[in-house]
Amino acid sequence: MEPDVSIESGCMIRVAVLPVGEVPSAELREYAAMLSRHRRVELSSVSSFYAEHQKSPFGSQPWDTGSLRFKFVVGGSPPSPWEDFQSDRKILAVVGLCHCPSSPDLAVASELFASACRPYASSALVARCFAFSPSDAQLEEGNKRDSNLILFPPSDRQAQELHMLTMMQYIAASLLMEFEKWVLRAESSGTILKTPLDSQASLSSEEVIKAKKRRLGRAQKTIGDYCLLAGSPSDANAHYTTAIELARLTGDVFWHAGALEGSVCALLVDRMDQVDAVLEEEVKYRYYTVIQLYRRAFIQDNAQRVSTVSFEVEAALKLARFLCRRELAKEVVELLMGAADGAKSLIDASDRLILYVEIARLFGKLGYQRKAAFFSRQVAQLYLQQESVCAAISAMQVLSMTSKAYRVQGRGANSRLQEISDESGSNHVDGGKLQPQSVVSLFESQWSNLQMVVLREILLSSVRAGYPLTAWSAAARLLRSYYPLITPAGQSGLASTLTNSAERLPSGTRCADPALPFIRLHSFPVHPSQIDIVKRNPAKEEWWTGSAPSGPFIYTPFSKGETNDNSKQELTWIVGEPVQVLVELANPCGFDLNVESIYLSVHSENFDAFPLSVCLPPNTSKVISLSGVPTKVGPVAIPGCIVHCFGVITEHYFKDVDNLLLGAAQGLVLSDPFRCCGSGKLRNVSVPNISVVPSLPLLVAHVMGGDGSAILYEGEIRDVWISLSNAGCVPVEQAHISLSGKNQDSVISIAHEALQSALPLKPGAEVTLPVTVKAWQINLLDSDNAATRNASGSTGRLYKEGSTSPLLVIHYAGPLTDSGELQKNDHSVPPGRRLVVPLHVTILQGLSFVKARLLSMEFPAHVSEAHPRSIHIKERLIEDVDGKSKTDSLVKIDPYRGSWGLRLLEMELSNPTDVAFEISVCVQLDNQKNDLSLTSVTDDASDGGYPKTRVDRDYSARVLIPLEHFKLPILDDSFFGKDGQADDASGNKVRTNVEKNTKAELNASIKDLVSRIKVRWQSGRNSSGELNIKDAIQAALQTSVMDIVLPDPLTFGFRLVRNVIGEESSDLLKTSDGSILSHEMTPLEVLVRNNTKEMMSISLSVTCRDVAGGNCIEGNKSTVLWAGVLNGVQIEVPPLQEIKHPFSMYFLVPGEYTLIGAAVINNATEVLKARAKMSSPEGSVFCRGPPFHVSVVGAV
Amino acid sequence: MASTACFIIVSRNDIPIYEAEVGSALKKEEAVQQHQFILHAALDIVQDIAWTTSAMFLKAIDRFNDLVVSVYVTAVIIHTRLMLLHDSRNEDGIKSFFQEVHELYIKILLNPLYLPGSRITSSHFDTKVRALARKYL
Repeated sequence: MEPDVSIESGCMIRVAVLPVGEVPSAELREYAAMLSRHRRVELSSVSSFYAEHQKSPFGSQPWDTGSLRFKFVVGGSPPSPWEDFQSDRKILAVVGLCHCPSSPDLAVASELFASACRPYASSALVARCFAFSPSDAQLEEGNKRDSNLILFPPSDRQAQELHMLTMMQYIAASLLMEFEKWVLRAESSGTILKTPLDSQASLSSEEVIKAKKRRLGRAQKTIGDYCLLAGSPSDANAHYTTAIELARLTGDVFWHAGALEGSVCALLVDRMDQVDAVLEEEVKYRYYTVIQLYRRAFIQDNAQRVSTVSFEVEAALKLARFLCRRELAKEVVELLMGAADGAKSLIDASDRLILYVEIARLFGKLGYQRKAAFFSRQVAQLYLQQESVCAAISAMQVLSMTSKAYRVQGRGANSRLQEISDESGSNHVDGGKLQPQSVVSLFESQWSNLQMVVLREILLSSVRAGYPLTAWSAAARLLRSYYPLITPAGQSGLASTLTNSAERLPSGTRCADPALPFIRLHSFPVHPSQIDIVKRNPAKEEWWTGSAPSGPFIYTPFSKGETNDNSKQELTWIVGEPVQVLVELANPCGFDLNVESIYLSVHSENFDAFPLSVCLPPNTSKVISLSGVPTKVGPVAIPGCIVHCFGVITEHYFKDVDNLLLGAAQGLVLSDPFRCCGSGKLRNVSVPNISVVPSLPLLVAHVMGGDGSAILYEGEIRDVWISLSNAGCVPVEQAHISLSGKNQDSVISIAHEALQSALPLKPGAEVTLPVTVKAWQINLLDSDNAATRNASGSTGRLYKEGSTSPLLVIHYAGPLTDSGELQKNDHSVPPGRRLVVPLHVTILQGLSFVKARLLSMEFPAHVSEAHPRSIHIKERLIEDVDGKSKTDSLVKIDPYRGSWGLRLLEMELSNPTDVAFEISVCVQLDNQKNDLSLTSVTDDASDGGYPKTRVDRDYSARVLIPLEHFKLPILDDSFFGKDGQADDASGNKVRTNVEKNTKAELNASIKDLVSRIKVRWQSGRNSSGELNIKDAIQAALQTSVMDIVLPDPLTFGFRLVRNVIGEESSDLLKTSDGSILSHEMTPLEVLVRNNTKEMMSISLSVTCRDVAGGNCIEGNKSTVLWAGVLNGVQIEVPPLQEIKHPFSMYFLVPGEYTLIGAAVINNATEVLKARAKMSSPEGSVFCRGPPFHVSVVGAV
Repeated sequence: MASTACFIIVSRNDIPIYEAEVGSALKKEEAVQQHQFILHAALDIVQDIAWTTSAMFLKAIDRFNDLVVSVYVTAVIIHTRLMLLHDSRNEDGIKSFFQEVHELYIKILLNPLYLPGSRITSSHFDTKVRALARKYL
């Protein structure tokens, strides 16, 4: 059997192409290629070399359209026993190819060629040797010689080709003339034609007669063959027709078939250009007959020695090739299957090989890839049965052709699969989740058993053929894809195959197919908060706003990387700053995997990756951190890792493993390599869009005096010094400090201006900022937390677990437009950064508050000549409970003011610590709200005159705080109502919402009041602070705050009137410290001040009581006489003015008396009513002043 | 019972989702592989023939040496192919075998937890198929 047969092969002149002498393979290939371009030589071009010696037997040769066809057999072929039967099997010409530079002696070359031609002497009609690139000497020598050696003078390619064409035409003409000679001879003298079928035939007389009869038919058939070779199909047809007739008559079945085959060939060649359905039918019909005839020619007797099966099979293949079209697939398949069935009957193994090769080719041509692969594999198996290296190479090559159909091809070969997985990879990123159906399609045609077998065979053949890289690749694919189906021993065997193959490869060899380990992306570590990057919004002054994750959660689970947008993640890397990527490696096999080096594979060439060496024990996985440094601005893509393992460098793509895991999750792939190594299921990490930005400044913070936490007592105030230095290589041009985290209000002040004045902070420069911290209370109440959160507002929230310390968030950025590099992409602004400095503060429990309550005290005032000083007088009242330092003189009460109803806030504090505390109380009195003229503006609270209260360890103390000073100077409705429209126009109108407003204002005033009370403490030399007792005070004050804050509508005062005559009395006053003599008329004045803004008409009364509290003015036993009006004095008091009402008293009995002023306000406004807590709309308001003491001494 | 029979279910995506060697002959690994290779190659023929006929049972569509491939093609949407490589000529038995296995396969498909196109791992299915093979082949 012969490869590549077709129906037309009957008309091809077989030419052996032989190298003569030493011909380097490259040259040989080139020369052969040049030769093979002339497979077809037109008869018209041959005519110039053709000389008709006799009458040509080819009467109807188409000189215009016909052509001679050649089939070049490089290296020649041994003569076939069937060459009499089919003349196209004969080597009819020999062409030698000689490379002159390597064969200097042309004579030797000529001899060599002559000896090479010898095997073909019987059949070869023409022999020529082409000698290429001869030297000048050789040219000269060659010209003298007259031989078959044709020198091709060195020239350009075109000229050589022309030369070659001419030579071929010359050869064609010679052949044509030889054919004519042969045919003429055969026609005249006849010829004896035998096939192996006849040779052993017993020479019985009958047989001899039969043979004689058949001879003519056979001669006609052969002449027909020669006509075909000579390019004259119609002559051939005529001869074939005769031959068919004769063969049929003589029962020469085999030659009948041959002639029929020849006639079909002649038919096709004749009608080369117009193949139509009719012709096709004709060809089909005749060929089926041919096949039938060959089958009939099969003689059981000599089937062991010689068989016609190969002709039958060949005929089937020829027809199949002729019909090989998609539409006729069914017919072709039938033919091919029939041919395949014939394989068993073929005696020669190489025949079977050729048969399978041809079947595979035809199936491939038909588009039946799997069928083709199947037969290719059969071919490979036949090759593998031979023990030679060449056979192994052939097997390997054939198998690698099948690898596509079995879907086991290496990555280098299959760009298509790569695309598919690329697409799916991108789908994956976009859609988040791949549809199950498309997952399935990813693993299309996974016949793992077959794939394993094919890969194993590729491995075997490539090892045998000595192709280490192919072996390595096959072993890698086998190990990576089918490790679950391979026993541990087999896995180790493959591993050693890999190592052995790599030993035969040059170091640094790359292979497209990755082996182990499996690598998947684990995560991109978040920037540490110190070097966080914040997008910059150049339009805003506060450029960092809007970039931080916002939402109800301080910690968002999506805040991996920079943004919380999980559909399209973006990551920013900075030139020159090392980054890390976590990847997970898995070794699911049963041997120790030693990864010599692994590093990130970055195709964008702006990243320096640092290699790492890992060793993975059997069935383990490991998360490792791969690092590198971005070197240039631009996007970075990380498709996978470069791995140097088993001696070969491979690239592992993340998405391959992702797809694999996806398939494993759907049960489509054998096993999940990570799960079988005990690693948990990881969510799919997609590679975010990574962009590299130019260098940014980098602030590094440290707390002066050590980074350990400061230990503070509750309420302690201390400065923390924070030093910021720029460790980057770009100056900081903008910086802003804000607060975040818990307990933000504990930071009292930050030296913003110190930071601002230090800008721009050059690289390497340093700035130190004081931050004043006031220690908070240990157990925070929920309300406090809420307050903190509200206060934090829109500033970036950062989460720091377990820490209650506040965080300083410093947003800083370099210059807005960078020089040079950024000009290209002008729209982007280099991002800023965020530095989070936690203020590490540890709070110790300090003074603890036990309780607070409001105390009332009554200090009656003395009536004297002096006008009572207006309301606010500074005073300090400190009492010590344990009575150590009680000093009366310290109680500064103006006795003439009448401090009736003085309220004190008593607080009980305990000291559970082991140090002593000293406490001072101050009340800040600057009333910022009220811009009206204050009657007195008090000074600062710190008054050195009062000793501090000392609370020793494990003791409690009480502290009193007077609350008198909070009275407002005016009582007006603006205090009650915010809307104030009723102030002037309709002051008397009824207000409906007074009550409501009262409440709101009340709270405000309480807050105001509470905030002014400060309880400071000091302990030791350098720790001092303030107690946070606002809540306690507020609770204590809640009930009676109105009385504390609001002034009475009327203020009453009494004084002695100095009269002209009373010389003595003034003396007396001097002597007796403001006491009054009895039995003497004492002129007095009652002072009434209107604290409201409206005119008030009152009816004033004054009473006097004795020590027992009895009224001593009225009644039977009155001991005081009086002059003037004391009861029901109708007076109008102008707003914010004072009126005097004089009267006189005459005390009959010395002793202590009390004067009390009272008034009924007639035209009480709503405000007054509210103040007096009167519910009824009508009626008048009653006011009473504080008692004034009058001490009356008896006349001496 | 046939001496050689290799039964495979191939999903729409040409993935073998069930494989069983149901012949009575001794099973050698190489033979099993060869059977699968033959069945795999026969898919090319099936894909053409399946669209030329309305019959589900395609008998003896391919052969290699003495082994014959018969195929049963299910409905279009699922387009699963039940393929049997056999050396017996008991056509009726093979047809019945296919029909019953088809029923079993439909039951598998009705399982909401089964993703169409993925491997059939049910041992119950396996047992039933082997029982049917003993019965019919």
